[in-house]
Amino acid sequence: MNARTILAIAWKDILDAIKNRYLLMSLILPIGLSFLFQLIFGGVANTGKFRVSVYDPGHSRLTAQLRDVETLTLVEVDSLDALNEEVAGDSVGGIIIPANFDADVDLGKQPELTVYLNIRKAGGELAVFRDIVYQQVWTMREEGAPVRLVWTTTDVPEDEIAESGIRKEGFRMDFYLLVMFLVMSLTMTGSFVVPLLLVEEKEKHTMEFLLVAPVTPAEIAAGKAVTGLAYSLLSAGMLILLNKGISGSWPVTLLAVVLGALFLVMAGLLMGTLLHTMMQINTWSTIVMMVLLAPSWLSVLQPPALIDKIIRLIPTFYLVELLNQSLTGTVALSDAAWRLGLIAVSTLVMFGIVIWVMRRQET
Amino acid sequence: MKTIEAINLNRAFNGRKAVEDVSFSVEEGEIFGLLGPNGAGKTTTIRMLTGQLRPTAGGARVAGCDVVRERQALKSQIGVVFEYQNLYERMTGGENLLFAARLYGCDPGRVREMMEKVGLTDRAKDPIRSYSNGMKQRLLIARALLHRPRILFLDEPTKGLDPTASRQIRDLVTELAAQGVTILLTTHYMEEADQLCRRVAFLNEGRIVAMDTPQKLKVSHGQRLVRAVFKDGSDRTVSLDNPADGKQLGEWAARGDILTVHSAEATLEQIFIRLTGKGLDE
Repeated sequence: MNARTILAIAWKDILDAIKNRYLLMSLILPIGLSFLFQLIFGGVANTGKFRVSVYDPGHSRLTAQLRDVETLTLVEVDSLDALNEEVAGDSVGGIIIPANFDADVDLGKQPELTVYLNIRKAGGELAVFRDIVYQQVWTMREEGAPVRLVWTTTDVPEDEIAESGIRKEGFRMDFYLLVMFLVMSLTMTGSFVVPLLLVEEKEKHTMEFLLVAPVTPAEIAAGKAVTGLAYSLLSAGMLILLNKGISGSWPVTLLAVVLGALFLVMAGLLMGTLLHTMMQINTWSTIVMMVLLAPSWLSVLQPPALIDKIIRLIPTFYLVELLNQSLTGTVALSDAAWRLGLIAVSTLVMFGIVIWVMRRQET
Repeated sequence: MKTIEAINLNRAFNGRKAVEDVSFSVEEGEIFGLLGPNGAGKTTTIRMLTGQLRPTAGGARVAGCDVVRERQALKSQIGVVFEYQNLYERMTGGENLLFAARLYGCDPGRVREMMEKVGLTDRAKDPIRSYSNGMKQRLLIARALLHRPRILFLDEPTKGLDPTASRQIRDLVTELAAQGVTILLTTHYMEEADQLCRRVAFLNEGRIVAMDTPQKLKVSHGQRLVRAVFKDGSDRTVSLDNPADGKQLGEWAARGDILTVHSAEATLEQIFIRLTGKGLDE
C-alpha cells in the first residue's frame, strides 16, 4: 500500500466534507447534543448542600480535604455501625477510609476506598457526591489512579436497588453522558459518514476514476479509513475536552477511543462496499446505529439476563464498559487488555472482510 | 507500432453476451473510433481495455501491458475520459486536478499547465457545480492528460455538448493525436467519427460488423453518387460507376445547365444502417 495515495484520498475527503453540509451536520451533532445536556444536567447537579458521613480511623488527609468542600456537611463517625446508620438516614453517602490509606496512596498501591451510596436520595445529589469524591481522590496523587473506588450501598434490599434502575458500581451521570455521546459520535462517523464517503464515489461515478488511477481497492479503503479515523478522533477529542474527560485511567480511555473508532470505521467501510445508494445508507445506517448504540443506552440500567447476554455480543458493549471504567478510574491498563484485544481483533477481522469484498467487486 | 491490441475479447453479464469476439489493433498516434448505438458494447470494450472489467474470454494488450495481469502498470500509461462527468462537484477545478496529480504522483505545477491548456485558468478556483458541461468535459480531458499518458480513452466525449463546446473538444483531440497520443474514442455521432478518426469499427450487439478508414467504408459499402442541382431548381443524382450517367453529367455541364454539383456518397450512418438494419439511435 502506498502512503502517498492513501493520504491523497484522505486529504480529498476531508476537504470535500467541509463543503458537505449533510456530512458536517452528522459530525457536529453529538458535540452539540453533549453541550446541551451538559448545560441541563450541570445546572441540576450544582444545587444545594448535603450531608456526607466519613469513618476515618487513620485521620487521612482526604477527610481534611472533604471538610473544606463548601457543599458538604461532613459528619465524622467513629464506627462502621454509625456510618451505616447515617447512610440509611440523612446522609447522601458515606466513605470508609482505611487506617493506612495515605501511606498506600503515596506508595502507589491503589488502596480500596469504599463509598456507600444512599440510593433513596435524589439522582442529582448522588451525582454531585460522586463528582466530589472523584475530584478529591484524584488530587491525592499526580500520576496514575490513586485508589480503587468501590461503590456500594448499605443494607438496602437488592430488589430496591434494581427498581432504582441504576447500576450502583461507579455510576456518574456526567460520565454516563460522556460515554453515551462518545459512542454516539464514533458510531455515527463509522456507520454513517464512512459508508457515505464510499457510496457517494459510486453514485457520482468517481469510483471509476479512482479505479483507473494507480490506486488499489485496499488503498481506497485505507484512505477512507484514515478520513473516518480523523473525524472520529477529532470529535471524540472535542467531546472529552468539553466534558473534562481527561481523568481516571486516561491511557485506557485513549486506547479504547482509538480502537473503538477503528472498529466502527471498519464496520462503516464494510457497509460502504456492500451498499450502492444513499437511500440504502439511510436505511441500513439507522439499523446498524441502533444496534451499536444499544450498549451505551443500556449501560445505566440492569437489563434482563437474556438482553444482557445479547448485548455482550456487540463489540461496542466492551467499548462502553471500558470507557465507563476508565473515565471513573476503576480499571487499570492490565485489566482492560483483553477487552482492548477483543476490539482490536474484531477490527482486523472486519478489515479483512472489507478487502475481500472489494477485491471480489473490483472486476 | 501497435499500442492497443484486442484479441477475441468477450464479456458476458449474467450469461448475456455484451461483447463477443472483438479483435482490433490501434497504431501509435492513431485516432480510432468505436461506433455503435447505445448498448452495442462500446463502453464494455473500453472498460476491459482500461482494466476496469475482466474479460470472460480473450485478452488485450494496451501500451505493452496485459489488461488483466498487468493492470497496475497499465494505469499509469492510460488516461480515461468517462461517459459520465465524474468530477468532485463540491471541489474547485484546481482541487480536482490537484487530487488527480497526487494520485498519479505528478508535479503540482502540472495542474496549472493543464488548466491553461484547456482554457480554464481563470476558473480554477470555482467549484465544479458552477461549470458548464463543456467546461467540465475540458477539465475531464485535462485530468486524463495530467500524467502524460501514451493512450487516451474517450467515451462519448461530446455527448450532450453544444456545437461550440463539441468543436473545442474535437480540436483538442486532433491536437493531442498530432503530438503522438494514441486515442480510442467511442461515439454515436458519425460525423464526428468521420472528421476525427483515421479508422473506425462498427459495433453492433457486441460484435464488430465492419472496420476500416471512413473513406474505404464509404467506397466499399456505399455508391459513388453525385447530385447535380440545375439552374431551374430541379436536381438529379447520378452514379459515377455508370458510364452513361457520367456522360450525361458531362453534357449538362457543357450546356451550362448545372448550378452546383454535390458529392452524394453514403454517410457512415447510412452504411451502418445498411450493415445492421438499424439506426444509431435505436
